[in-house]
Amino acid sequence: MDDLDDDLRRLFSDDRLDVHSTSVSTELVVRGAARRRHRRAAVAGTFALVAVVGAGIGVSRFEMPAPDSTVGALLTTAVSVTTTPPPPPSTSTVISTATVTVGQPPNSNGGNTGKPDPGGTSRSSSKTSTPPTPESQPGRYGTLSLGMSEADALATGSLVEPSSPADPDNRCKAYATKSVPDANAVIVSPARGIVRITMPNYAKTPKNVGAGSQVSEVKAAYTNSIQSGSSVTAQISASPPWSYIFETDGAVVTTVFMRLNANDCATV
Amino acid sequence: MTAVLQLGSAVEHGGGRAEAVGDFAEFVRVSMPGLLRYGHALTGNPHDSADLVQTVLEKVGSRWVAVQRKGDDPLAYVRRAMANAHISIWRRRRRENLVADIPDSGAVAPELSRLENEPLWQALRSLPPRQRAVIVLRYYENLSEAEIAHALGISCGTVKSQSSKAMASLRTRLGKD
Repeated sequence: MDDLDDDLRRLFSDDRLDVHSTSVSTELVVRGAARRRHRRAAVAGTFALVAVVGAGIGVSRFEMPAPDSTVGALLTTAVSVTTTPPPPPSTSTVISTATVTVGQPPNSNGGNTGKPDPGGTSRSSSKTSTPPTPESQPGRYGTLSLGMSEADALATGSLVEPSSPADPDNRCKAYATKSVPDANAVIVSPARGIVRITMPNYAKTPKNVGAGSQVSEVKAAYTNSIQSGSSVTAQISASPPWSYIFETDGAVVTTVFMRLNANDCATV
Repeated sequence: MTAVLQLGSAVEHGGGRAEAVGDFAEFVRVSMPGLLRYGHALTGNPHDSADLVQTVLEKVGSRWVAVQRKGDDPLAYVRRAMANAHISIWRRRRRENLVADIPDSGAVAPELSRLENEPLWQALRSLPPRQRAVIVLRYYENLSEAEIAHALGISCGTVKSQSSKAMASLRTRLGKD
């Protein structure tokens, strides 16, 4: 039985495996790498430009009505607050901006005059609350999210083409991503969109576990997690429901996947 | 979006770019013979090995700074990338290659096929690439099952099953000969 082990070791240490090929030169590889990098930079630059322009258009479209209403609100509160000293209108606006940014609803209620005020303050509060939302909770990593269609995923620019089929039927496709060079970093099903995302090995879940964490830490962070074999699965309630899959070597997490519960790819 | 912008800006400021290119060239020069040999074990053929090494090194080199920043051993990273790339390439090409016999197996120039007469080498050729990758990582790289699982992005259970399937089919092949 052990003969085969020995034979394999002997074969793989055989000198005849050496390839005396001059077809791959260092210069060729370095040039090829530079070419790829430039191409990617050009694509990323174009995409960034498009994104910036798109964001600009979006901001201008959505923000256009907002300044008018807030200005109106400021002016009205300013008038209400400073009824006694009417001559200096410029200083009064400064005072009013201060009150609005502090955002004290009682003030505006007391003033009574500013009916657009609540709208203004709520808008500003919603704006401040969106950026710090943790990215991984709603089945999302970076620009990619579970269930996202292949076209949308490609549009994010996070996927590295070309793709390769991920299962024997050639239904699902596997992509490498910018952050994970593995060819199976993202698996896309034609019916369900992205069904699995491999997290980069430096990434942590919102509960601060990731590759390199102890299995016990994973179980402490995700009390509902279930171990089967060498992997630990933690269900995340979201719509659509998904799970963290922590691949381990028995003690330490080696890889973290985000996987759609309702996935239809055979190998995922 | 911010990620893309960061990437764009990271590409833009090429402070240590020239240094990184020189560093990468040195890495390629030093590791090339070993990688070609490893590719030969993976693909079973020196030409495919050269193609595989070139493709993977170009990819890795195009993001060399990021690879180094990860802190892993870059050589191990390249080897893992090669194993995965080989499996992916095979996935793309296998439809073209589905023939009962390799047509010109008898006509390969002797200096290119010095291993061809080795029964074990022939038996390895019959393995699907993932099984072959598992065998190569285990016996060429001397990786543990967990390390193989991590390298190929598959579970430990899959490594075990692929490995035992591969060993069983090697045994039957060699038993027949």
